[in-house]
Amino acid sequence: MISDIVAIIRDYWLLLLIGQYPNGPLGGLAATLMLSVLAIAFAFPVSIALALARLSKSPFLNWPVTALVYFTRGVPLLMLILWGYFLVPLVTGANVPAFLTMLVTLVVYQGAFLSEVVRGGIVALGHGQMEAARALGHSYLGAMRYVILPQALYNVIPSIISVFVATIKDTTLGYVINVPDLTFAASQINNQLLTQPFQVFFILAAVYYVICWSLSRVAVLTERRITRRRAGTAPQPTAKSLKLAALTDQPS
Amino acid sequence: MNTTVPSNNSPMIQLKGVRKSYGLYEVLKGIDAEVARGEVVVICGPSGSGKSTLIRTVNRLEEIGSGSIVCDGNNIHQPMPARELNLLRSRIGFVFQSFNLFPHLSAIDNIAISPIRVKGVPREAAYAKATQLLERVGLADKAHAYPGQLSGGQQQRVAIARALAMEPPVMLFDEPTSALDPEMVGEVLAVMKGLAADGMTMMCVTHEMGFARDVADRVWFIDQGQIIESAPPDEFFSRPQTTRAQRFLSDLRH
Repeated sequence: MISDIVAIIRDYWLLLLIGQYPNGPLGGLAATLMLSVLAIAFAFPVSIALALARLSKSPFLNWPVTALVYFTRGVPLLMLILWGYFLVPLVTGANVPAFLTMLVTLVVYQGAFLSEVVRGGIVALGHGQMEAARALGHSYLGAMRYVILPQALYNVIPSIISVFVATIKDTTLGYVINVPDLTFAASQINNQLLTQPFQVFFILAAVYYVICWSLSRVAVLTERRITRRRAGTAPQPTAKSLKLAALTDQPS
Repeated sequence: MNTTVPSNNSPMIQLKGVRKSYGLYEVLKGIDAEVARGEVVVICGPSGSGKSTLIRTVNRLEEIGSGSIVCDGNNIHQPMPARELNLLRSRIGFVFQSFNLFPHLSAIDNIAISPIRVKGVPREAAYAKATQLLERVGLADKAHAYPGQLSGGQQQRVAIARALAMEPPVMLFDEPTSALDPEMVGEVLAVMKGLAADGMTMMCVTHEMGFARDVADRVWFIDQGQIIESAPPDEFFSRPQTTRAQRFLSDLRH
């Protein structure tokens, strides 16, 4: 059993790592990581923009985004992926690579979910902080950037991480439109071996687990670091580092 | 900007026929009043009389239904681009009952962030000024403490320093000591007294009648959305004209 798994890894590690590359597109773990990182990197700013639009008093911003969020949250991700994959080329005539279809779908889908998390964090903060910032002359967006979001995002770090982890796991669905990711590589291996599905997919599960666990771990550590700093129990800055900080630090 | 050059004898704040309603309920029923430059006005009155609403209309945290408010020569409630309103607000210091310090920033960052981000003051100058202000409110040793580590009185003093950092010609206080434990009221009032002594124009909603007596040039008594008395403190406290004010003062003594 364990020797089977070791044998599979020994024989197929390159396929699992980078797919058919360089004879085909970059795939395997590399593609999964790339897709995850890009999806998260785009979904995060998108979610903040969506949250601000939903909080906006302007119906031109508020209504379409509210509709988009409700729609996205009410439809299975798989449906959106298949729609994107079949409809977009049909409507536009463009030949969209599966990787791009998957990335955009993930960004929209997870961006919508994340926007609700972000919006919740902002609303939970109450009016006082925004009022104080506006009374000092900050613009609405300035107040958001320097006062509201640093607090709101910090408060919802656990939920944000949940969405990030869900995003990584959802990259597996790219398999249905032939995105050559880690799942795709594993099922290729399974098709060749035929008799060892448990072993093959055990490797797959283990790899995903390690990725998601590492991300959660990084998040916990980051959160702890911020908490320590804000509680003031971090090492007190020296006069020299203070002067530097005054020059270089972004208020967070 | 539609700015008339304020001369030295024009009032700092001028309210004309200010009305405001929440739905059918009229909170402010035509306020006409002036605050001269360098004057300290204390606003008092029973709860629900509209005093907090009134002071919040002066920097347009609340909109008004009709009337006008001119502050330092600027018509605060006329239609204007958001940028202009932000600029006007930055010239009016406001201190909240609940302090509203930014909890993610240290005391000195709380004070320095707005000059840097709103006025574009260079960092070093902003931090130098913030250090000065912390000394002025007696908290030089708390520069790197976070709001969560400060007592209520200390937080409110940082909040006053934060408002002063924008160098406003006028300061508004909305019940600055109401959320404080009794033993911390004195330290905040002392800072405010110092400000008044330095010639700051101040409008202050408070229940601290001792402060009104010692520091105010005038007391406005508000009831049911109207200023029904406006007099120097000794006159107001010794000879209130209206039965409503008489009752308010006797209630305070008990």
